[in-house]
Amino acid sequence: MYDVVIIGAGMSGLVCGCYLAKAGMKVLIAEQHHKPGGYCTSFKRQGFTFDAAAHSFGAYREDGIVRKIFNDLEVDKRTKIQRVDPSDVIMAPDYKISFWADLDKTINDFQKAFSDESKNIKIFFSLFVNPEPIFFVRMRSWTFKDLLDKYFTNNKLKAMLSLPLYGNSGVPPAMLSACMGAQIFIEFLLDGGYYPEGGMKSLPDALTVKFRELGGELRLSCAVKKIEVKDGKVIGTVLEKDGFVLSRYVVSNCDARQTFFKLLGRKVVGHDFLSRMNNMIPSLSAFVLYLGVDKFYNLPEPGSNVWVLPQYDLNKAYSLVRKGKLNSIGGYLMHVYPDRKSLLSLIPVPFINRKYWNNNKEKLLESFIKRIEIDAVPGLSEHIIYKDAATPPTLHRYTLNYKGAAFGWAVTPSQLAIPDLRKPSFIQGLYLTGNWTTQGVGISGVIYVGYDTAKLILRKEKAC
Amino acid sequence: MGENNIGKEIISIISEVSGFDEEEITPETNFFKDLEIDSIKAIEITVAIEKKFKISIRDEDVPNITTVKQSVELVNRLLEQESLVGAGS
Repeated sequence: MYDVVIIGAGMSGLVCGCYLAKAGMKVLIAEQHHKPGGYCTSFKRQGFTFDAAAHSFGAYREDGIVRKIFNDLEVDKRTKIQRVDPSDVIMAPDYKISFWADLDKTINDFQKAFSDESKNIKIFFSLFVNPEPIFFVRMRSWTFKDLLDKYFTNNKLKAMLSLPLYGNSGVPPAMLSACMGAQIFIEFLLDGGYYPEGGMKSLPDALTVKFRELGGELRLSCAVKKIEVKDGKVIGTVLEKDGFVLSRYVVSNCDARQTFFKLLGRKVVGHDFLSRMNNMIPSLSAFVLYLGVDKFYNLPEPGSNVWVLPQYDLNKAYSLVRKGKLNSIGGYLMHVYPDRKSLLSLIPVPFINRKYWNNNKEKLLESFIKRIEIDAVPGLSEHIIYKDAATPPTLHRYTLNYKGAAFGWAVTPSQLAIPDLRKPSFIQGLYLTGNWTTQGVGISGVIYVGYDTAKLILRKEKAC
Repeated sequence: MGENNIGKEIISIISEVSGFDEEEITPETNFFKDLEIDSIKAIEITVAIEKKFKISIRDEDVPNITTVKQSVELVNRLLEQESLVGAGS
């Protein structure tokens, strides 16, 4: 008998589990994969260490929420966290602009490049400094493009400000919720670029140690088959190997479609809810390139997230990749590791189908390398000694996320803050956490949702 | 719908979103200071109120939804305006 069973040991599940265990609850986390972390993990190949997908995090300033949570859960004691400056660099055909730890310096760089928009650049950036919740409420039905259009006319500037948001949400500016765009802007760009020693894997590892210290139980390679519900209330879960496990609460940190279609099923959830969910769109998946270079070569811009924008129309880039036209690489991320010997590069792509990726992985890998060579790293291909890539089916295999979605549901204004995707009103004792809740994107987003989910449960406990 | 009922409905929405028990929420409770309402929860509350009372809250009204009391006043005002518009048409 447990108080809470958490399905999935992603960052959100781990953080939630730690806070619940800390409050004295008996918690089991069941993870289908053989290691914790979800997209936040690292692996070694031929002496190079690569992060699988998540490659830095934000909201770690003095009063940042991730700083508070990592402090509460002693993550900062177990791994050394450093910030790179600049955290992000945007490279376009005509400009190269950095996001510095010093906000005034960043604003200044943008003003120098776009002197016509100088006054509004200052106003725009100031929107994101300690905004009140009301600021987000006002923008609840806007897209990020709507927000940009209110301040700027220069399309090149708008595209440069949008690329990191597209890359961190899998949603282009004309579809991205202005609220989520603002959250990403604040947490990833103005307060981003933090990295733990030993790779992103150090974060779930530190949380796992803490969770076990607090008396929590983590079972790996432990898939969940079913969430059992009786009289509108969860009573437990069925584990594939160990059978039925009784619990008063279930927190699902896995894909929302898994949760509702597979683990709960039509009988419990009802036809209407499932058909509404069938109409929802997921974020894009990703093609992630992993490269290692020889000792004669040093890669540029170590530590920073370099966003390469070969052209200025991201909405068009999105519509082309959605149609499966992947030859025109319309904007991508390049992240060189501090040792300057390896890099991760990521481009948003759709799932398409498995056969497509079996046939096209190598081709895209080679054309992606050529693209990077032209845009940012001359001579790269002569020095590569290790290369591989993760495709949408790889992302799906690791996490079972629907269509290998990299960021859960697409956070559009109509798919923002849907209460039933956080705490379904028709099932007592069930909570969802992580990036399928429509409430948080990226490492900082899901960490916060995990913390908040624990608080919701603890308040419920107190009230009982 | 009477003022009391509007108040009750709003408290029920706030309780559902914030996780705080209905008894802990009074007309004067500040959503942000007392109930740890973050930006996403503020959106959830606003959207839920709009849906429940079939009203649309305009940008200039947004700052007026920080306590139950203020929310009740705002909902009443918007409902009244809508009924006036309805009567005039």
